[in-house]
This record gives sequence, C-alpha cells and structure tokens, in this order.
Amino acid sequence: MRILIVEDEKPLADVIKQGLYEEGYAVDVAYNGEDGLFMAENEPSDLMILDIMLPIIDGMTILKKIRKKGIKSPVLMLTARDALFDKVSGLDSGADDYLTKPFLFEELLARIRALLRRSSEVKTSMIEIGDLVINMATHEVKRSGKDIPLTAKEYALLEYMALNKNKVLNRTSLTEHLYDQDFNLDSNVIDVFINRIRAKIDRGSHKGLIHTVRGAGYMLKE
Amino acid sequence: MAVLLLTLSVLGGLLSFSLSKIVYDSIDSNLLSKATALATLVSMDVGDKTRFKFSDEITWEYNSPNARSFFQIRRLDGTTIEKSTSLGNRDLPFSKLDRQTSFEFITLGRRPARLINFHVPIENGELNMSKNKKNSLVIQCAEDIRFQVNLIKRYRIALFLSILSIVIVSTSGGFLIAHRALTPIKNISETIDKISESNLSERMSVDDIPQELRILASSFNRTFDRLEMAFIRQKQFAADASHELRTPLSVILSQSEIILRKDRTAGEYRNSLGTIKDAAIMMSEIVRKLLAIAKLSSDNVDLRFERVILSEIISESVKLLSPFAEHRGVGIDISPAKPLVVLGDRSLLSELFNNLIGNAIKYNVPNGKIYINLIKEPGLILTEIKDTGIGIPEDDLAKVFDRFYRVDKSRSRESGGSGLGLSICNEIVKLHNGRIEIKSRVDEGSTVSVYLKEDRDDTAI
Repeated sequence: MRILIVEDEKPLADVIKQGLYEEGYAVDVAYNGEDGLFMAENEPSDLMILDIMLPIIDGMTILKKIRKKGIKSPVLMLTARDALFDKVSGLDSGADDYLTKPFLFEELLARIRALLRRSSEVKTSMIEIGDLVINMATHEVKRSGKDIPLTAKEYALLEYMALNKNKVLNRTSLTEHLYDQDFNLDSNVIDVFINRIRAKIDRGSHKGLIHTVRGAGYMLKE
Repeated sequence: MAVLLLTLSVLGGLLSFSLSKIVYDSIDSNLLSKATALATLVSMDVGDKTRFKFSDEITWEYNSPNARSFFQIRRLDGTTIEKSTSLGNRDLPFSKLDRQTSFEFITLGRRPARLINFHVPIENGELNMSKNKKNSLVIQCAEDIRFQVNLIKRYRIALFLSILSIVIVSTSGGFLIAHRALTPIKNISETIDKISESNLSERMSVDDIPQELRILASSFNRTFDRLEMAFIRQKQFAADASHELRTPLSVILSQSEIILRKDRTAGEYRNSLGTIKDAAIMMSEIVRKLLAIAKLSSDNVDLRFERVILSEIISESVKLLSPFAEHRGVGIDISPAKPLVVLGDRSLLSELFNNLIGNAIKYNVPNGKIYINLIKEPGLILTEIKDTGIGIPEDDLAKVFDRFYRVDKSRSRESGGSGLGLSICNEIVKLHNGRIEIKSRVDEGSTVSVYLKEDRDDTAI
C-alpha cells in the first residue's frame, strides 16, 4: 500500500513517514501544496494524508482538484484547528476522514487501515482467504492456525493482494503500490517477494493461494 | 422639588407682602391727606368752638348714605364734636392711648376699614399745627377698604394657585421630560446589557436615537468596536498559539509512539530523541516568544527608558550574531555613524536589532551581504538594514508583521522561525513611538527601515 503525505511541517512529515514505512507502507512525501498536487496527480497512491494549511496551494484546493480529475483514492485530512468549519468543508470537498493535531500515531494507523479497507471489498480488519487469516491491525498472518512470520515488506505485499483478492495484479501496479517514487520500477523485486511469500504461505499446504497468471501478473485466490 | 416649593413660597410671600404694603400705604397717605384737609377746615372754623362748617365740596364725599369715607372729630376726652353723615349713628372706635398720629384696621358695619387718628393741637382755643400742646382735637378719618382687601385676597389666592400650578406643572413636566429623555438611555442600557461575548458584533442603531444622545450611542458603538477587535485579536492569538503548538506536539507524540513500538538500536533511539528534542525546543521558543508578545502588548509593560546610543546597540547585536553570520558566509557592513541617541529600553532595543539582523542573516543567500545604515532625519533616526537575501513576495509583504505569519513555512522552520520575530519587533518599535517598514524584492533582498525618535539633548553625552 502506497501512501502520499502532503505536510509542510518537515519534522512531522518525516516522523509520519518513518512510522508508516515501518508499518510496511510505501510512503511519498511532499512538503508543499504544489509538489503535493503534482504527485497526487501523477503518482498512484492508495491513500493521501493531506494537511489543510499548506504553502503555495492549500490542502482544500488540492483535494478539489484531484477529485475533479477523478482520483478516488481515500484522503485523510490533517487539521491543526478543530474548528467545525474545517471538518465540514474538508469532508464536503471530498475528504474521507480527518484527524486533528496533535494525534496519536496509533489512531492515524487505525484510520488509515479503515480507509484502505473501505476502498476494497474487505470490511473488517481480518481478511480470510481459505484458511489464510490476515489481521491487518496486528499484521499477524496465520495459515491453518499456524503463525507465519513475515517481514514488513512481505506483509505489505500480501495485504495489498488480500485487499484485492480474486483480482489479477500486474507487476507494475504491485510495484507502484508497494514502493515510493524513489524505487526503480524495472526491478524484478516483486517476483522475488512473491516467491518468498509463496514459500512461507503455500509450503506444506496442499492448496496454493498465490497464483501466477502468465503474462498478466499475480492473484491471491482461494 | 422641595427647593422649588420653598423658593416659590418665599417669593409669593414677598410679593403679597409688598403688594399689601403698597395698597395700604396709598390708603394711609390718602387718609392722611383727608385728615389734613379736615384739620385745615377745622382751623378755619375754630373760632366757633362748637360747630364746624364744612363746605359741600368737602362733605359730599362723607355724607351720602353709600359713601365709603367717614370722619369724626373728637376732643381728647372722646366727646364728639362733629361726625360725617355716612357714619349714621355709628361711632369710629376711639382710644386715648397716645397723642401720636396712628393708623389702625377697624371693622365698620362688618366691613373692613382703615382708620387714622390725627391729633390737632389747640392752644387757647386756637388750633396750632406746629406745636405739640397738651390739649388737642382728634380728627378721625376712616375709609372702607373692602375692595382693596378683596383685591389683596384675590391676588393672594391667584398667587397661591399659580405657585401650586407652577410646582405641579414643573414637577410633572420634569418627570415627563426626564422620562422621555431617559427612555432612549434605558434602551441604550438594555442594548449594552444584551451585548456579551457571544454577540459582540451587535450595535445600537443610531437612527432610532434622539439627536442629543447619538454622540453617546455612537461612542458606545465605537467602544464596542474596539472591544470586539481586541476580543477577535485575542481569540485569533489563542487559536494561532494552539495551532503553532500542535505541530511540534504531534511530532513529539508520533515520534515517541513510533520509537516505542519495538526494540530499537541505540542509534535509532538517539535519532528519535533528537527529533523530540528539536520539537520541544521549537515549542519552548514559541512559548517564550508568545509570553514576550503578551507582555509587550499588555498595558503594564515594564519599560526602563534611558538614553541609548543606537550604534552601540547595533554593534553589540552584530557582534552577538557574527558567528551565525560567518557560519552562513554572510558579511555585515555597518556604515560609520555619529553617536545618535534615542530614548529607549536597552534590552528591548537589543532584542529588536537581534531579531532584524538575525532575519537578515537567516534569509540571506550564502555569501550574501548585509548593509546597516544609520541616517539622521529631522527629529528621527532611521536605521536601515538591507540584505541581499531571498526577499519576500509582494503578497506576503503586508502580512509579515502578523503573528505566526511565515512566508515559507518549510524553509523558515528549518532555520528556527516561529513567525513571531517581526511581530515582536513591531511591538517593540510601537512602544518606542517609532515606525517599522519593510521593502522587498524576491531574489534581490529586503530592506527593513526602523524610525526611532531622536533624543535631542546632547549634553549628557
């Protein structure tokens, strides 16, 4: 899952980026509204964290512009004022949620998870595909009741596939959603990760869940 | 009201007294002249000691049955020598008390009358007007004064009634006028009572108020305007302050949460504590400057004004900031200046120039320059601080003195800007009755001009 942070307070943006990165999210950061708008329009992201007060172009304008362009990824607004107007106009402009500073990072994570679920078919924090159970809140993965330890990146890839279960996901889209813009898209790192996850999940099981669709990509399916 | 009543009563008493005095004086002088005329007639006839002959011209006045004038001439023992027909069988009251001419009020046939007892001395059977002898005649003359008494009575009643009506009319009129005058004041006071924190923008409509109270109403309105502005500023300040503190607080919260999620290496802990420390420093800086501003803009700011040589203060600031300037490769050029003196608070002026020169370094380009000029103008000292820095966009120029306004937040945060420095400078200059201006061009630099009043008394230096 790839998240774009648009926040002009550099220390805060960097802290959020670090925290999300450690959670296994791919994170892009823009420190002003102009860069933020450009990245939102040109880089695919699964979620945007958008500060309202930004230099050059403010958050509300960015939101309106990207919604007008048909970009539907969920937007979580960060506001430093808990004035009702901010919340109302933020939600009216197409934001999906908001959080008032100062916030608990745990709450930010929970809201991000909820927003990501909302845009997929999965409606709880538990995803079940056959006997594979993914707990998105704790990042625990179990197959037939057995814990499967995964690295953050492995987990992120699995979670993304689980949220888009039964859909064929090509390498480019997987890379785009798992890596920020600093990553080189030509790499076959996705294949490496898929193989590692497959080894952990499907080994010793009579039924493989990760399917390779030749010429198209991968799919998580019961 | 009691004062009015008392004054009017005294006045009424005086008026009725003086009127009756005038009336009775004229009656008395009339009676005296009649008595004198009778005495003259008596003296002509005095040879015949028993009987006087009065001519008809004199007596017709006394003799008609309806006559209102009476006389009676007696000896000292009271025996009547002659009396007027108008008296009929009545006598004028007589007492032998004194020999002086005297006046008295009497009742004659149930009518009020005024009586004169006029003594005419007699010597050897002859009248002698000039001397006061033992023997004399008494000429009594009386006049019916019922008309005059009635007149005075009516006058007194009229006076009483008019005093009464004046008191009533003026009292009730006073109440009425006061009520009319007070009604708009009452309305004004009700409007004022209704104005509170939640509806500070409510105002009195001046058109509904009488002309003479409009000044009052509009000055109330102006006061409320000022109060509202102050209130809005306070609210804005509180909102801004909390807004500014929220961001570093978010950093501290998020960073500590993230770092505690799992075990870390010493390096990671060090890094995150560094981030937390920076945020805390930022917060304490904001709080320090907020307190400074609150103190500077309150009315009871403790100022220690003294004669300060401006170039000294500026040299001190430059010296203090030179390591910072060297670090950024910025050169500072101070034009040599005469020791110009201002009256000011030394520590505040230091703060002012530390801030301004600090900004000039902070927002300068690497290896940029700063030119500081002290210029004497009539009654003023102009300090120009010119930098070759990044400049301020025109749109932002008007707002740079606003609290928490930062032209480029991401840039100024890195250099430790809180958006309060220029606001503090502005407050300090205002406290010195001076003026501060900024001119700027993007990528060319900014020039800050500080005008301070010159202290002309050069003798102490």
